[in-house]
Amino acid sequence: MKSKLLLALLTVTLAGTAIAQVKTEDAIKYRQSGYGFMAWNMARIKANVEGQYNKEEVIKAANAIQAIANSGMGALYPQGSDKGTGWEATRVKPEFFTNKEGVTKVAMAFNKEANEMAKVAATGDAAAVGAQLGKLGGTCKGCHDDFKAKK
Amino acid sequence: MNSKKFHLWDLPTRLFHWLLVLCVLAAVVSGQLGGNLIDWHGRVGLVIVGLLAFRLVWGVVGSSYARFRQFLPTPTRVRAYLRGDWQGEGHNPLGALAVFGLLGLLTAQVVSGLFSNDDIAFVGPLFELVSKNLSNRLTGIHHLLSNLLIGLVVLHIVAIAFYGHVKKQKLVKPMITGWQEGEGESATGGGVLPLIVALAVAAGAVYGASGAWLPEPPPPPPAAETPSW
Repeated sequence: MKSKLLLALLTVTLAGTAIAQVKTEDAIKYRQSGYGFMAWNMARIKANVEGQYNKEEVIKAANAIQAIANSGMGALYPQGSDKGTGWEATRVKPEFFTNKEGVTKVAMAFNKEANEMAKVAATGDAAAVGAQLGKLGGTCKGCHDDFKAKK
Repeated sequence: MNSKKFHLWDLPTRLFHWLLVLCVLAAVVSGQLGGNLIDWHGRVGLVIVGLLAFRLVWGVVGSSYARFRQFLPTPTRVRAYLRGDWQGEGHNPLGALAVFGLLGLLTAQVVSGLFSNDDIAFVGPLFELVSKNLSNRLTGIHHLLSNLLIGLVVLHIVAIAFYGHVKKQKLVKPMITGWQEGEGESATGGGVLPLIVALAVAAGAVYGASGAWLPEPPPPPPAAETPSW
């Protein structure tokens, strides 16, 4: 009885943390795809702020960024994946894997502003969206500055 | 009332210098802070393009002390200056090295910036003319040069402080008032016509750098509406 309970507990625990094992090359592809897709959505929001504002377009773009931000992309950075090639050679710096605290900080800042972006987009206030886009972009830069290698 | 002084830096040279100071400061701050300031970084960069183009022309057609030929830091002149044998007014040969260094680095800096991208939501005005890969390379160079530039600017300021305190030569005041104390020939040349030419070239450079002449992106395909998905 006791061992059954233990087994059940173990199963639940394992299931709760199950992460699909991904090859490094695929992990790099997935994360590059995520950033590339977010770049499209950032550009969409910017185009709407600078030109004809379409509330629905901005909501779609902001929700897409929010979804990726909250998707747990951190799982796509297995140890050793500072080297390797996805769609192109990865540009993540080795420091990304040694400075956990710094990475967490920039990642959380980004998640916070991405969530805020979705909220602001829902209001349809173009000026507020523009301001929030700047804040969100600033958090992208926060990580690029410290953890993305320059070419 | 017989204090000797002569006209050293013409007004356009001084205006160029102090506007460049403001713009470089604004560019460094906006570039470091990022966010929405990155758009201002781009605009300030275009102003710097204009200032540099103006100065390059003014170095040929401007008044005497502003001309490049007047202060070319040839090895002979630099050696003479280091021996203490150099006689002259305006930029001394070492200062001239800094002037050419700053102008050269700044030119490379604005050119690389025109084609850059930040992988967020900003691209330089001429980004469309190059591949993403080349743009990434130029962006890397832009970052590298910014550090070199800041270093050279610091050296420039330290040198001016050194001349002021140790050698008792006031370099800042003439750059503000245009007048240098002592005996020397006042600057000549650089009249209205050369000024118009330099300003016209500067305006042309800004227009070219702004990408305003680039063809409009092709109109989106005539889909009646964005698909709902």
